[in-house]
Amino acid sequence: MLSSFASRLLDALGPDVVRAAPEDLAVYAFDAYSEDKLPSAAIVPHDAREVAIAVRIARECGEPIVPRGAGTGLCGGAVPSRGGLVISFARMNRIVELDVRNRRARVQPGLINLDLSAAIAGAGIFYAPDPSSQKISTIGGNVGTNAGGPHCLSYGTTTNHVLGIEYVDGNGALHHTSIDDSGYDLTGLLVGSEGTLGIVTEVDVRLMKLPEAVRVCVAAFTDVESASEAVSAIIGAGIVPTALEIMDALITRAVEAHYHAGYPENAGAVLLVEIAGTHDDAAAGEAALAAIAREHGALSWRAARDQRERDALWAARKGAAGAIGRIAPNYYIQDACVPRTRLPEVMHAIDAIARDHKLPVGNVFHAGDGNLHPLLIFDRRERRQVEAVVAAGTEILRTCIAMGGTISGEHGIGYEKRETLSLVFSPDDLAAMGRVRDVFDPMRAFNPDKIFPSGAMCGEVKTPAALGTATA
Amino acid sequence: MIAKRNDALRLGTLSPARVLEPADGVELAAALAAAAAAGESVVLHGGGTLQHSANPPVRYDSAVLTTRLVAVHEYEPRDLTIGIGAGMTLATLRRMLAEHHQVLPLDAPFPARATIGGTLASGWAGPRRATYGRSRDLLIGATVALTDGTLAVCGGMVVKNVTGYDLGKLYVGSQGTLGAIVRANFKVLPAPPEQRLAISTFEDDNRERVVAHVGGMTVPPVALLIRDGFLALRDAPRPEDIDFRPQIVALFEGSESTVDRAMREYRSALGAAGVAETRILTGAAASNGFQDVLDEYVALAGAVSFTLLGRGLPADAPLRSERARTAFPSGGERGVSVETIANLLTGDVVARVRAPAALDAQTLAAAGAAVRSAIGRAQLIAAHDAAVPHVDAWGETPSTIATMRALKERFDPQNVLAPGRFVGAI
Repeated sequence: MLSSFASRLLDALGPDVVRAAPEDLAVYAFDAYSEDKLPSAAIVPHDAREVAIAVRIARECGEPIVPRGAGTGLCGGAVPSRGGLVISFARMNRIVELDVRNRRARVQPGLINLDLSAAIAGAGIFYAPDPSSQKISTIGGNVGTNAGGPHCLSYGTTTNHVLGIEYVDGNGALHHTSIDDSGYDLTGLLVGSEGTLGIVTEVDVRLMKLPEAVRVCVAAFTDVESASEAVSAIIGAGIVPTALEIMDALITRAVEAHYHAGYPENAGAVLLVEIAGTHDDAAAGEAALAAIAREHGALSWRAARDQRERDALWAARKGAAGAIGRIAPNYYIQDACVPRTRLPEVMHAIDAIARDHKLPVGNVFHAGDGNLHPLLIFDRRERRQVEAVVAAGTEILRTCIAMGGTISGEHGIGYEKRETLSLVFSPDDLAAMGRVRDVFDPMRAFNPDKIFPSGAMCGEVKTPAALGTATA
Repeated sequence: MIAKRNDALRLGTLSPARVLEPADGVELAAALAAAAAAGESVVLHGGGTLQHSANPPVRYDSAVLTTRLVAVHEYEPRDLTIGIGAGMTLATLRRMLAEHHQVLPLDAPFPARATIGGTLASGWAGPRRATYGRSRDLLIGATVALTDGTLAVCGGMVVKNVTGYDLGKLYVGSQGTLGAIVRANFKVLPAPPEQRLAISTFEDDNRERVVAHVGGMTVPPVALLIRDGFLALRDAPRPEDIDFRPQIVALFEGSESTVDRAMREYRSALGAAGVAETRILTGAAASNGFQDVLDEYVALAGAVSFTLLGRGLPADAPLRSERARTAFPSGGERGVSVETIANLLTGDVVARVRAPAALDAQTLAAAGAAVRSAIGRAQLIAAHDAAVPHVDAWGETPSTIATMRALKERFDPQNVLAPGRFVGAI
């Protein structure tokens, strides 16, 4: 027997768009976080008009609304924690308009990140934000979490590449924003708002010219601390390459076993560097970086010889979290950010925290940005280990905050970290954010239970009820 | 807190009854709360260089100056980040960063007076933004005083951050209508080792060729402007010496070898377009020359003038600037002229309308409307007082105005902050 909500959706949009049977809804119950909850209904709309109709019906029925990209989010941002309506953008995946001359495109939110760059490469341009999930994750999801990626060291995160947004508000009305409009920067507010302010139905993105020369190099170090010292020294010397990534021994071995990309398997840590620009700048940049790396104890320095080798190194790096699946029963990936001079210190602290809790830890991270991704390895069948992972994860976040950092560099707050948010921000800070929420979503219908601490829990860290396998 | 009266802070026809100079964010927040309790209005002042980029307020009890908010809260050069008070001038910041070979490319006019807070609040986005981003992109955190007396922090001191809403973007360009920025954190950039400014005068007949040739460069400049007017008067001591021909201005930055290569390419592109002569400034002369170009954006000229900055697509910028210059066909006989700067990389078109003192208000307003429709979504950036009542700072109201009004209402329910200054009479 269908709920009246599902019936109304079916009447308005038809069975091609609406999913209401429990077996069809199961796929919309979870993302890459551990919690799940079945929605009352889901829609797979063709266009913004259908989104608006569904939003109006949900509003009339008092049902919450959760937008969904590819479900790769690690913080539960796409989990319909209170049921209601899930809007999947799987069908809204087109490039609506491409303007090569002015280097911009209008795309639908369900477009897969990598599909955009692949489609426009022939014109010598690309879309810069490149989260590791870019083969699956969508532009709409990337907008929700202000997704980053290895190359945002030089190019910036999603918010720096979004020029305008079309969104459906709580009343089902369609709006268009542009960063060139006069008035408040609603575009900037919507990016990174994790679906709590409205439903994004189109995105105007900025495209960049492909660089003339790209060099990808790998340096081996004895340990993560010395690799981190090298990164701090590179940034401190005023050199900002396009990417500066570190993988520790555990990750490097897992990645090599899976991808055979040519990383030095016996290194305690590897530094992956990309330098882009003119031929001269790429050559000079490589020389400067290699010199700093050697000064900080690099055991080797090797440049990829051609595009194939460069692609292989990147594919392996971006597949790191997946490769860990081969060696770990379960893992928990953290996302935090510190000022870059604190990198060696924070890596040391993470190592100590993991040892205290008797948990193996792998580190694969955007070192140039100070953006950490410690992977805590555990077996979810062991209750002690699950508790240890939760405790260690929280300790890592507290350590990063104490070092002047923050609790998410690119994954977002979602469901997972909402109680932790009050460790970073005071009630006054959160109240200012709440004012924005009040304006866009006074009924708290858009993605409830995300970002904001639950009132009663303010100021304390909540233990997730269950911690499961995360996949990248 | 020091209180003094100062008519120099007049905006439109109103002068403030009080002038406050709070010592820090806490004092500033308390002043806003006191104003809210008393039902009074407050206008924030930085250096006053972009005061005409918003309409005059409709009520104006107190002026709050950020002159004392000049602290360096955090600066670790090796992190490439800095946190500073909103009252710090761009020139002071520039000097401090230069000691560590770093820059913050905000590109605002008159940096000796322009403040960080004012530059952010005005939403200023300079000509190098195609390369380095806008002020909104460089800001990584802020502390803002609100009218309920609280200080609200957003963002932080890290370069990647998705921790809560990105409220910094909301305050940038809000003209002090939601809160008062008291502290701003930025990511800064290593200073480019080499900077060169190339200025060439060309014949109007050559315009299309020039645009086409410089558009195809493999190593583009960081700023590329076509100027019609503007500097001409200042360069020429006597009116008969004025060179009315257009100029192309290009700023190159980067390593020496890349800038060398770019300059070679640029000169050969200009040569192919029939441009014979290019003046090249290097080192400090290049950065001073570029600052002169920026200062001209808001410089006033003639008896009555006002300047609009319109946003649009880069490829259309030459066309939109040409339309602006010819937008008011009957202007010539009444002494109205229009000068433009077209930014070929960002699509910005700046248009300065110059009129004789005797021009009637109606004609002045008509000239503004004509130029506005030519250059696209345009904001006023400078104006003589005589022009202010006749040219709205904002022009077209965006379709999302209802949401903007609701934000104003929620952040400043008593309408304390800069009432009437913003778009849609917010």
